[in-house]
Amino acid sequence: MKRPYYIFSSGKLMRKQNTIFFLPYDEEEELMEEAGQTKEAPTEWELITKAGEFKKEFDSPNKRVIPVDDVDSLMIFSEINFNARMLQFLTKNNIPAHLFNYYGHYNGSYYPREYLLSGFLLVDQVDHYKKHKKRMRIALQLVQGAAYNMLRNLKYYDGRAGNVSESIEKVEEILEKVPLAKDISELMGMEGNIRQAYYQAFPTILGDKYDFEKRVRQPPDNAVNALISFGNSMVYTTCLTEIYRTQLSPLVSYLHEPGDRRYSLALDLAEIFKPLLADRVIFTCLNQRRIQHTDFDESLNFCHLSEKGRKTFVKTFEEKLQTTIMHRKLDRKVSYRRLIRMECYKLVKHLTGAEPYEPFKAWW
Amino acid sequence: MYYILVYDVNVDRVQKMLKIMREYLNHVQNSVFEGELTDAQLAELKDRARDLMDEDEDSIIIYRVGSKRWRNREVLGIEKHSTDNFI
Repeated sequence: MKRPYYIFSSGKLMRKQNTIFFLPYDEEEELMEEAGQTKEAPTEWELITKAGEFKKEFDSPNKRVIPVDDVDSLMIFSEINFNARMLQFLTKNNIPAHLFNYYGHYNGSYYPREYLLSGFLLVDQVDHYKKHKKRMRIALQLVQGAAYNMLRNLKYYDGRAGNVSESIEKVEEILEKVPLAKDISELMGMEGNIRQAYYQAFPTILGDKYDFEKRVRQPPDNAVNALISFGNSMVYTTCLTEIYRTQLSPLVSYLHEPGDRRYSLALDLAEIFKPLLADRVIFTCLNQRRIQHTDFDESLNFCHLSEKGRKTFVKTFEEKLQTTIMHRKLDRKVSYRRLIRMECYKLVKHLTGAEPYEPFKAWW
Repeated sequence: MYYILVYDVNVDRVQKMLKIMREYLNHVQNSVFEGELTDAQLAELKDRARDLMDEDEDSIIIYRVGSKRWRNREVLGIEKHSTDNFI
C-alpha cells in the first residue's frame, strides 16, 4: 500500500535517480559553501548546479531517499525548495502535493494533470448539478450522512464523558426537517445548525481542559478551534487525493457551490468524514493528552498549533486513516482511507445511474 | 505485503541495482532494503533486477515478512536510514 509522506523539515526535494531525494537545508548550505571554496568564484548558476548535482560520493546521514513507488501523496508543512523537474516527476507518477503554511493553514495543492479522464462521467456530473432535483438528492444525502456520523460520535460519548443528550436531541430534531429543505441554501443552513448543535457537546466531551464556546474560523481563536480547522483541512486534502485517484472531476460539487474557492467536490466528501476522522482524532489527542496547552501558540491574535503539536496530530491522524474496519458488504477489512475512495466510487455509480447513492454511515 | 530484500551483486552493477531498488523500497543499510510492495510492484522490481543482474554471478534474496504490523524490528547502534513517512 502506498502511503502519504509528511514533510516537516525544511530542505530541498529533488528528482534524482528516478526517485525522490530529500536534502535538509543545513546540508545543502554546507555543500554550497564547499562549492564556494573553489578558487574562481562560481557564478550563481554554477553554485546551484554544483549543489544540485551533489556528487555520487555525497552520503549525508540526513539525506532521505524516498522510494517513489511508495508515495501516495506529499503533505508539506515546511519550507521546501523544488523545481519544475520535480513537478514534472510528480505528474509522471501521479503524486499530488499538498502545501500548508507556517501556521498550518492549507495553502493549496499541486494537482497533477488528470490521468483518469472520462468525458461521459463529467457530463453526468454536470447534469446532476444542473438539474435541481438531482442535485438536491445528492446534497441531501451528504448532509444526512454527515449528521448521522456526528450523531455516532455523540452517542459514543454520551454517558462516557458526560451528558450530551441535549445535543443529540437537537441534531435529531433538525435532521428530521432536513428532507423538507427546498433549496441548497436552506439545506446549507440546516447543516450549519446541525454542526452548531454538535459543537455544543464538545466542552462535555473534552472535559474542562479547554475553553470552547463556539466554532470560530478564519482565524481560529482558541485551541479547540485551531484543532478543528487543522483537522478539517487534513480531511479535505485526503479527500482530494482520493478523488484524484478516480475519474470524478473535483470541480463539480453538489452541496457546496462549485467554482468558488477550493476543489469543492472534496469539500462535499469531507463533510461526511470530518466527524469520523478529524473530530475523533481531536478527542483522542486531547483526552489522552497527546496534545497539551504548550503545543499551541497564541502570541498572535489567533491560535495555532506549534510544529510539535502539528506533528503529533498528523501522526494520530495517519494512524486513524490506516485503522481498518470490517466492511459488511465487502466482507473484508478496509481502512478509513479506503472508505473515502469507496465513497467516490459510490458517487460514480450514482452519477452513471448504476446504483443510487447512499452516504457512508458508521455502523459500529 | 512487507518485504526485506538483500542483494549481493558484482561491483560493476552495485550502483545500478541501488538505483532500481531505491525507487521501490526504503534503503535501510548497504544492500539491504525493506518496505511495502504490491504484487504488481514486486513483479516489476523482479523483472528489472533480472534484466540487470548476471544470474550466474549475482544473488538477490527477497524475504516476505507478511504484514508490517507483525514485523519485529530491533536496531542496535544508529539507525542509518529511517523508513518513516514523517520527514
